[in-house]
Amino acid sequence: MALRRALLPAAVLACVAAALAAGASAQPQGQQAQVPLPNKPNTLHFAVIGDNGTGDKPQYEVGEQMLQWYSRFQFPFVVMMGDNIYGSDRPQDFVKKFETPYKGLIDKGVKFYASLGNHDSREQRYYKLYNMDGKLYYSFKAPKEDVRFFALESTYMDQDQLAWIENELKNSGEKWKIVYFHHPLYSSAGTHGSQLKLRAVLEPLFIKYDVSLVLNGHDHTYERIKPQNGILYFVEGSGGQLRKGDLRRNSPLTAFGNDTDRTFVLMEIDGDTLTWNTITGGGALIDSGTFPRRKQ
Amino acid sequence: MLRTLALTAALAALAAHPGAAQKTAGTNTKAATLKDFLARVDTYVALHKKAESTLPTLPKQTDPKQIDTHERALSKLIQAQRAGAKQGDLFTPAMQALVRTLLAPVFRGRDGAQIRAEILDNEYKGAVKLVVNGRYPDDVPISTVPPQVLSELPKLPEDLEYRFVRDNLILFDPHAHIIPDFVPHAF
Repeated sequence: MALRRALLPAAVLACVAAALAAGASAQPQGQQAQVPLPNKPNTLHFAVIGDNGTGDKPQYEVGEQMLQWYSRFQFPFVVMMGDNIYGSDRPQDFVKKFETPYKGLIDKGVKFYASLGNHDSREQRYYKLYNMDGKLYYSFKAPKEDVRFFALESTYMDQDQLAWIENELKNSGEKWKIVYFHHPLYSSAGTHGSQLKLRAVLEPLFIKYDVSLVLNGHDHTYERIKPQNGILYFVEGSGGQLRKGDLRRNSPLTAFGNDTDRTFVLMEIDGDTLTWNTITGGGALIDSGTFPRRKQ
Repeated sequence: MLRTLALTAALAALAAHPGAAQKTAGTNTKAATLKDFLARVDTYVALHKKAESTLPTLPKQTDPKQIDTHERALSKLIQAQRAGAKQGDLFTPAMQALVRTLLAPVFRGRDGAQIRAEILDNEYKGAVKLVVNGRYPDDVPISTVPPQVLSELPKLPEDLEYRFVRDNLILFDPHAHIIPDFVPHAF
């Protein structure tokens, strides 16, 4: 477990420090935020999950927790970092590993925008509730604020996809460019870690075309990376899976990390400012902060 | 007369530079092998498309049952059409050798170690038996194929992908979820 420079209230930090000193989880037990984020009425709200499709109890607990937080912070959509359905993906698997754990959100009209991970069948692109419109990579404009999301298929970064993302980023007029995909360009986890060959081809485009935020999964941890070349990176790969103790301690990349809890992230964009709250499956707020968008 | 002179000059040049002749012959052999491979791939894709044309069109946004039905129906049709398919039908022995030659420099050195690590990155530890024309095993994660590897291999039509299962390079038909052929020990 690594934990650094968490942008939390002092009382929460004290609790975290005490927990760490005791060799326990970084989760500040019992810390339940009453009012998450700024939570303004006309800003963009969304949620982030990754590596969630196990169909096991912890995934359901995260789904239930997301629904509880939805009642306080209404997010119209969720972006998915891949590994949406582990193992077989027969129709009954979609029910068990997606539709049931998030039923409350789906019933409220929350949309899910998926990217595909290495455990996902390519044919998930046709599943209507993933809103991929038959495409392995795609972009969509957020319903509020000046934001565009770009979902990539990181297991197969061929020349066609690279040309596509460059063209999309170049021609995107939105102030906020948010890219998400499965494999992390930066990660301090021991199991997978940073995908250096992918970073070599994608990061120059993100820098050149003013991407502000990159969201990934794959490693079954939560990690907020120290901004790299002005870009904020998150690994959110513990929406159902969890690999306890996998984060390398003292990694120079980590701004905040958690490898003891399942998590999801709530995000809000208000003008030029991103705010996030990271919540565990038990409902504790473990990380929060703000970040300015990169200026074109 | 002119043709005879040109041929004589060419033969004289080859006699003076035997290495150049070997290089030319090697280039021609490589080009012929690639051309043959892509022709075989085209034949497979034509068979795939013909089989798919007999099925109801899959909407771009549909339910899991329809996706599953379509995928399995398509795989059955292709498997029936290629009932006698065997390893080497698409990746001929010459193409298998060429694939290993093309990939060898990619997997050398420090960069090669990173690429190898990213390909072998998945957490699946069980045994995998690759079966030509068989279904890609549901429990085996799909490997990443780094862009540096893809750039060395001939470009495939969009109905096919290269993937790795351990050190084996497979052709993967994602719509039918089957393995049309593979190269054992590609790196």
